[in-house]
Amino acid sequence: MATRLQFENSCEVGVFSKLTNAYCLVAIGGSENFYSAFESDLADVIPVVKTSIAGTRIIGRLCAGNKNGLLLPHNTTDQELQHLRNSLPDQVVVQRVEERLSALGNCIACNDHVALTHTDLDKETEEMIADVLGVEVFRQTIAGNILVGSYCAFSNTGGLVHPHTSVEDLDELSTLLQVPLVAGTVNRGSEVIAAGITVNDWTAFCGSDTTATELSVIESVFKLRAAQPTAIVDEMRKSLIDSYV
Amino acid sequence: MPRRPIRHRQKYQPLMFSSFARSIARLNSISTVNRQKHDFQVHEKKLPGNSAGGGLMKNNMEIKNEESESSDEEEFDELVPAEFLFFDPKPEDFHGVKTLLQTYLDDKEWDLSGFVDLILEQTTVGAVVKLEKDEDNGIFSVVSALNFGRYKDNKCILELKKFLLRVCKEKDIIGNLRLLLGEEAHSVGLLVSHRVINLPPQLLPHIYDGLFNEVSWATEDEPTEELQNSFRFKFYIVVSKIYKLIKHANKKRRQNNDSDEEIVYVKPEDEIFHKLSSWSFSFPLQTQRVEHHELRNYRQMGLVMAIEAGKISTFLQELKSSIDES
Repeated sequence: MATRLQFENSCEVGVFSKLTNAYCLVAIGGSENFYSAFESDLADVIPVVKTSIAGTRIIGRLCAGNKNGLLLPHNTTDQELQHLRNSLPDQVVVQRVEERLSALGNCIACNDHVALTHTDLDKETEEMIADVLGVEVFRQTIAGNILVGSYCAFSNTGGLVHPHTSVEDLDELSTLLQVPLVAGTVNRGSEVIAAGITVNDWTAFCGSDTTATELSVIESVFKLRAAQPTAIVDEMRKSLIDSYV
Repeated sequence: MPRRPIRHRQKYQPLMFSSFARSIARLNSISTVNRQKHDFQVHEKKLPGNSAGGGLMKNNMEIKNEESESSDEEEFDELVPAEFLFFDPKPEDFHGVKTLLQTYLDDKEWDLSGFVDLILEQTTVGAVVKLEKDEDNGIFSVVSALNFGRYKDNKCILELKKFLLRVCKEKDIIGNLRLLLGEEAHSVGLLVSHRVINLPPQLLPHIYDGLFNEVSWATEDEPTEELQNSFRFKFYIVVSKIYKLIKHANKKRRQNNDSDEEIVYVKPEDEIFHKLSSWSFSFPLQTQRVEHHELRNYRQMGLVMAIEAGKISTFLQELKSSIDES
């Protein structure tokens, strides 16, 4: 199910939060509504951790992570690093990365198996991504933009990319990522996908400006409606009915 | 919105989308105003067939910016012509206008999207300022006048009224405020005027002239009498921000800080509005701003003022003369 919410009148929920299959990070400040929206959906399944990174609230854009690990920029403070190490499950490796491009969330897009990165990322960082996150790394661009982490959002079940991505690029990316991809927008026509939506395998959170059309595209490409009975029946119908007379 | 290449924006920093960056730009511009002198030449072309509600381009202005000193961060010394065009609000301006109005009601969570939609739907009164041939569709300024009575059932206006009544802590003013927002709402307009902090001040008289002309044209041109009457404003309410001197910080250093003014106005027209206002009150803001060292004795506050519609012509004259002097 996809939920619409706001962080202090801003619809850029992907900037102030980071959602993975094993944990969820939420920025400090904002009203309790933001935090409780995540809590109500996720509390019994995965830990929801309030934090700042490098003293800022734009945590979604500064860090990159999946169920295996979390990468933090070099300007993360020691206290923040310790807080995250303490709050996250033990199997999640929390690592600070010495990388010139410190907005890791804008440079890296990943799920639990594959990562797309900025073309100018250091070789050492690329190795660390492969190590810590346990993924295969590909240097890519999306619709000519090198900030792959900003212009796409994908999970293990599907992905949403910049609306101006060509069909050939979509096919190529889809083969690399091994998930179905769709080019679309979020937050009423915003092209910065990852800023407007944060997603994992069973739930998504997007800005409150997202239109009903965008929401239905998101729910279908990320397969968030899978739990609904009608979907299951439709799937079964193909195998149940042999031929129409 | 992707950032435009910096070479097209000499001295006018790229569009800021976080309130933090905007406050930095604001504080930078306050400190550089004293250092640099700008020679602006303004050419105004009025297009034929200019009428309210009709025509895409109401005003076409060229501003040539001559730098007398070269700046230290960017080394451009040439003239950069910037053409600002005035347009009717359109639905595709949504994101730009929303960004400008992000901190309109401090940090209160309210139906900002609905408020922006309201402004964009009212095409007869209201304008946005954009650049010619801008692929980013960046909005530099938005102005509008919304009738409280006409939109009294809209969620955003209800929330806005509640907010204003809540932050007004002055007992003698709250009665006036309640009157204007309640019984007299049908003749009270909310004057919305927001822009990027470094917009050339030469545009201000044109922005406000345009708005108040549209208001008077609307009283004749609107299709129904009800709509015509909705633009016969008797009062305008302005919600804005100022910097107020923190009194206790200055008691010991009186002799050094004689030049410190009680209030520093972020927007020059606010000073004129404040002088002409029938009543006004200020309220503390919850959002923290980065304090520039020049403003260390000041605290940012919100300001709400009510101006009689009859005083508008005085306002326009004073605005014109103050911009011409500076």
